[in-house]
Amino acid sequence: MLSHVSHLLPLDLKKLLEGLPAEVKGSLEEIRIRENRPLEISYRGGFRFLAPDGSLKQQAEGSVKPTAEQCRKLLERITNYSLYAMEEELRRGYITVSGGHRIGLAGRTILDGGSVRGIRDIGGFNIRIAREVIGAAAHLLPKLMDRVRGTIGSTLILAPPQQGKTTLVRDMARSLSYGAPSGMERGTIAGKKVGIVDERSEIAACVRGIPTFDVGPRTDVMDACPKAEGMMMLLRSMSPEVLIVDEIGRPEDVEAIREASHAGVSVVATAHAFDVQDAKGRPELYRLIQEGAFLHIVELKRSHDGIMHRIISANALQQASNAKSKEQLAAVSLAGAGVGRFRTEE
Amino acid sequence: MIKLLGAVLILVAGTLIGFQQAARFAERPRQLRQLAHALQRLETEIGYGHTPLPEALNRTAAATAEPIASLFRRTAEELKSEQGWSFQECWERSVQVIWIETSMKASERGVMLRLGSTLGISDKEDQMKHLRLALLQLKSEEDAARDDQGRYEKMWKSLGALLAVLIIILMV
Repeated sequence: MLSHVSHLLPLDLKKLLEGLPAEVKGSLEEIRIRENRPLEISYRGGFRFLAPDGSLKQQAEGSVKPTAEQCRKLLERITNYSLYAMEEELRRGYITVSGGHRIGLAGRTILDGGSVRGIRDIGGFNIRIAREVIGAAAHLLPKLMDRVRGTIGSTLILAPPQQGKTTLVRDMARSLSYGAPSGMERGTIAGKKVGIVDERSEIAACVRGIPTFDVGPRTDVMDACPKAEGMMMLLRSMSPEVLIVDEIGRPEDVEAIREASHAGVSVVATAHAFDVQDAKGRPELYRLIQEGAFLHIVELKRSHDGIMHRIISANALQQASNAKSKEQLAAVSLAGAGVGRFRTEE
Repeated sequence: MIKLLGAVLILVAGTLIGFQQAARFAERPRQLRQLAHALQRLETEIGYGHTPLPEALNRTAAATAEPIASLFRRTAEELKSEQGWSFQECWERSVQVIWIETSMKASERGVMLRLGSTLGISDKEDQMKHLRLALLQLKSEEDAARDDQGRYEKMWKSLGALLAVLIIILMV
């Protein structure tokens, strides 16, 4: 995976990281570069600091410290030598590069009337390596199909960060767009018109409006677009059958999803939450669940041998919310849950 | 007979050298003007088009005459290399290489090198300020170059031939 982002790194850091053992390189998730502070990598859920001789250490002492010069070169490379063209990205705090890799930035912010206008003096970079896992949704997708309508039922995917939500919805978009998701009889389900609102350019990783990930032949992507507005735009202009959005949560997102489900469009959305109980703490999101806007709710948990998923049907949840008791909710949601697992390791 | 032939050769050589020097004085303001136009073009690409720098450089090169165009084209090519050079390094190398082929002098080279240390690493307003500053400096260099042209171009044209005549007289 390192080879996907190594062209961005300054030469000396690149050489150092290329000296890592192959299995570390293969499962690399993040490279954290902080000016004059220890270089950190995270892989397979854990983290290590990198020593000058290329060994990995748990302690920060004596590890490689990227210099100001190296950080400047890195910044030049990730902005394609054009910081001036990145105003919107700097306001949001990250840059998406070709291949869907996202580089988070930290530094001194510039304020304009109390809101952040950009970042200056960037001193911290977090290179998150995106991975396209074809078939990540293969086990899950057949269970989410609405056989009556012959399409996917509206689904909400709940998981904390770094559990593979985006990887999953990307593969869902691809499979639905091609049609006949694996595990189902070929030809029974035709390819769907899929619309993706990709506010953070993570799902499709568009470079100049063209997806760099394979999101399927019938997929339209609204790149770097606010989710609520993007959903409405796609509904009006591209007549999607399935709408895919990442990380919903704001009131206007909820409104747009309501609109979409009334228009007969299936919505696949993800949200940051540990599980359904946790999602209760976000009133807008929880109301949407209670209203029955989603047919299924999927929880993801990462474990050593892949990612576990649990499907909860919204009917079961509604019964539980009528019962109004936490214990009963837990009982019902477990009863209505389908537990399974899928792997995202290659 | 051989003496006459030699004298003619010296005369021709002297005249040619004179004309060449004169041409340098005529060429400098023209190239400075071209460079200023190229920077204006770059300013538009950066300020209004938000074009990424490598592409902005290529577009500028396409709209500019040689040898100025190769300054921009060469830099854009070096940026693509895998060596991990910074923009400033690529720019400086191109300026050094291209300058030998032009009639421009050290002062405008200084202007371009200073510009190279700022391009691409700040926001739009800042980039436009730096480009405008470089344009202003090039303009004053161009005015000076025109003065020099008026003063020395004609002088060199006759001086070459006259010096050749002097050499011939001394030899005879």
